[in-house]
Amino acid sequence: MTAWQKSFSRRAPLLLLPALGLLAVFVVWPLARAAYWSFTSADLLAPERARWIGWDNYSDLLGDPRFRQAFGNTAIFALLIVPIQTAAAFLLALWINRPEPAWRWLRTVFFLPTIVAMPVLAVVWTVLYQPAEGTEMGLVNAALGLAGLAPRAWLRDPHLALPAIAAMSVWQGVGLQMMVFLAGLQGIPREQLEAARMDGAGPLQRVFHVILPGLRNTVIFVVTVTTILAFRLFVQPYLMTRGGPGNRTLSLVQSIYETTFLNQDLGRACAEALLFLGWVALLTWLQRTAAREERA
Amino acid sequence: MQQIAAAFNAAHAKEGLHAELTFFPDFQYTEKLAVAAAAHDLPDVFDLDGPLVTRFADAGLIAPIGEWFTADELADFLPTIRAQGTVHDHLYTLGAFDSAAVIYYDRAMLAAAGVNPPAGQKAWTWAEFVAACARLKAAGMEPLALHLDESSDEWFTYAFSPVIWSGGGRLIEPQTSRVRGVLASAANIRSLSAWQELFRRGFAAADPVDPDPFGNGKVAMDWNGHWVARSHLRRKGDRLGVMPLPVLETPAAPCGSWCWAISARARHPAAAARWLHWVTADATGIIPIVRANGAVPARRSAFAAFPEYAGSPYRLFRIQLETVAQTRPRTPFYATLTQRFAAALRDIAHGADVAARLHAAEDEVQRVIDRREPPEARQ
Repeated sequence: MTAWQKSFSRRAPLLLLPALGLLAVFVVWPLARAAYWSFTSADLLAPERARWIGWDNYSDLLGDPRFRQAFGNTAIFALLIVPIQTAAAFLLALWINRPEPAWRWLRTVFFLPTIVAMPVLAVVWTVLYQPAEGTEMGLVNAALGLAGLAPRAWLRDPHLALPAIAAMSVWQGVGLQMMVFLAGLQGIPREQLEAARMDGAGPLQRVFHVILPGLRNTVIFVVTVTTILAFRLFVQPYLMTRGGPGNRTLSLVQSIYETTFLNQDLGRACAEALLFLGWVALLTWLQRTAAREERA
Repeated sequence: MQQIAAAFNAAHAKEGLHAELTFFPDFQYTEKLAVAAAAHDLPDVFDLDGPLVTRFADAGLIAPIGEWFTADELADFLPTIRAQGTVHDHLYTLGAFDSAAVIYYDRAMLAAAGVNPPAGQKAWTWAEFVAACARLKAAGMEPLALHLDESSDEWFTYAFSPVIWSGGGRLIEPQTSRVRGVLASAANIRSLSAWQELFRRGFAAADPVDPDPFGNGKVAMDWNGHWVARSHLRRKGDRLGVMPLPVLETPAAPCGSWCWAISARARHPAAAARWLHWVTADATGIIPIVRANGAVPARRSAFAAFPEYAGSPYRLFRIQLETVAQTRPRTPFYATLTQRFAAALRDIAHGADVAARLHAAEDEVQRVIDRREPPEARQ
C-alpha cells in the first residue's frame, strides 16, 4: 500500500460521514419512527396520544378482509405483469435489434409510453375502455366489434377490471424493459451467434442456447425490477376504477394511502407499510438467492 | 383572497396585526393539512372542508369560536353554516359561503317532450321524476346527467345523500358511530334501488364521457350544484329552469362548504378571530369572495348585494338552505364513510346488487370505526 492509499483509507470513514448522515436522517430515522408507530394506536392528527398496543395492528391486518383483498389483487397483478411484460420486452428487443437506422424509430415508438406521465395514460385508457354505446364507445370495444365480439364494460366488470389494468400497464411499462434487453443483446458477441449459425443452430436454438444464457443477468434484473414495480401499483387503478368494482382493483398502496389519510390510523398505516416493505424485500431476496444457486 | 388579506392588513396596520396567507400549491390540501396537524404546525387560522370539522374538533385541533361573535352576528348566518360548524353544542367554524344542489332543466326540451316541470319552487315526487325521464327518453332525448365520471368521491356523497335522507334513511348514527344496520337499512336499499333504476332504464349514463352534457345540449336535465349556475345561465338564458331534487318521502337537499377554523394552539387567538370576522363580514369577505366564486352567501344580510337571488335559479338555492338542507353526517369518521359510500354508489350505478353492496360498505366502515373507537369505550 502506498502512503497515499494508507492515508486515504484512514480518512475513508470521515468521507463517508455526509452520505451516512443523510441516510440516517432521511431513511433510518423515519423507518425507525414508522416501526415504533406500527406498535401503537397512533392517530394521524394526534400522534402524541398514541398507546402501545404490541402486535395488535399486525394481527388485525392479517385478518382484515379488505387488506387481504388488496394484497391478493396486487399479487395477481404481479403474476400477470411479470411473466408477460418480461417475455414481451424480450421479444420486442429481439425484433428491433437490427443495425439499420430505419429500425430506430420503432425503439422510440415502444419506449414512448414509459416517458408519458401515468395519470395522462390512465385517462386515455379509461376512454379507450369506454363501454358506452354509439359514438362514445371506446376504441377497444370498437375494435372488438369489428371482429364480431360484443362490447364489454372492461373497467366495471369485476372479472375484467384487474386484467384490463394489467394489460394497460404492460403496454406502458414494456418499453423500459425492452431497452434493458436491447442493451443486453448488444453485449452478446456476434462471433458466438455466427458460430452457432455455422454449427447449424436454427433461430429458436440460437435464442434458447446462445442468447438467453448470455442474458442471464439481464433477465434476473428485469424480473426483479418488474416485480417491485408491480407491487407498487397505485396510479392506474386509483384513477381508472378507484379500487372498484367492489375492491377488485384495490392495491396495497391505495390501502396504505387510505389508512393514512382517510381513516387517519397512523399506527396501522405504518404496520401496513412495513409489511409491504418486508414482503417486497423478501421477494427480492428470494429471486436473488434462486439466481445465485443456478449460477453455482 | 390575496386582495382580502391585503385589505385586512391595511385596516389593521395600526394595531400591529398582520395576516400572512399561505396557499398550499397543487391539490391534496386536506392531506397537507393533516400532516401539518400531526407535526403541530397548523397555522393560527385555516380553511377546511365542512364535513371534516367534527374530526378536527374531536382531535382537539381547533378551538370553539362562539365567544368571538355576538348572538346577533351568529343569527345572521344561514342555519346550515352554523350547523356545519357545530360539534357537541360548540361552534368551531364559520364560512363565507354555502352550497346547493338542484335539478337544472332545459324548458324547450321538456316542452318538446310534453313534460310539465313542477310549478313554483316545488319538487317532483320520485314517481313524477321517473315518469318525466321516461317521456323524455321516449321522445328520443337523453333525460338526465348525474356526472358519474366525477373523479372526486365527495360529489357522490354530496349529491346523492339527499336520496338517502329523502327516503327516510341515514348514512350513520353519528351519536353512537353506528353504521352497521344504518347504511344498509331497508329504507336505504329502497332509495338506492330507485336511484339505480335511473341507470338501468337508460335515463342517465353510468359511463358519461362529456363533463357538461347539459350545457352542450345533449341532455334535458342536470343534477348538479350551484357552481354550474353561471355557465348554464350563460348558455341557456331563458331556457334554463330549476327545481329541487325529487322527493321520495320528505324533501331533502345538501349543503356545506369550506369554512375557517382557529387552531387550538393558536399563538394569537384574538387576532385569528379578527381574521375570521373579516372574511365572514359582508363587505370585506363574503361579497368579494362570492362575486369571485359564485357560491351562496353565508349571511342573510349579504343577499342584498346579490340581486340575482330574487330570481331563478338562485332563489331556490337560498330557500333550500333556509328550509330543508342538511349537513353531511357530522362524524369524526366522515372521510372513510364518504369514500366507501362513493365506491358503493359507483358499483350500484353499474348494476351491483344494492343490498349486498351496502352491506359490504357498512361492514368496512364499521370495522374502521371499531378499531379507532372500540364500542366499549363509547359513552
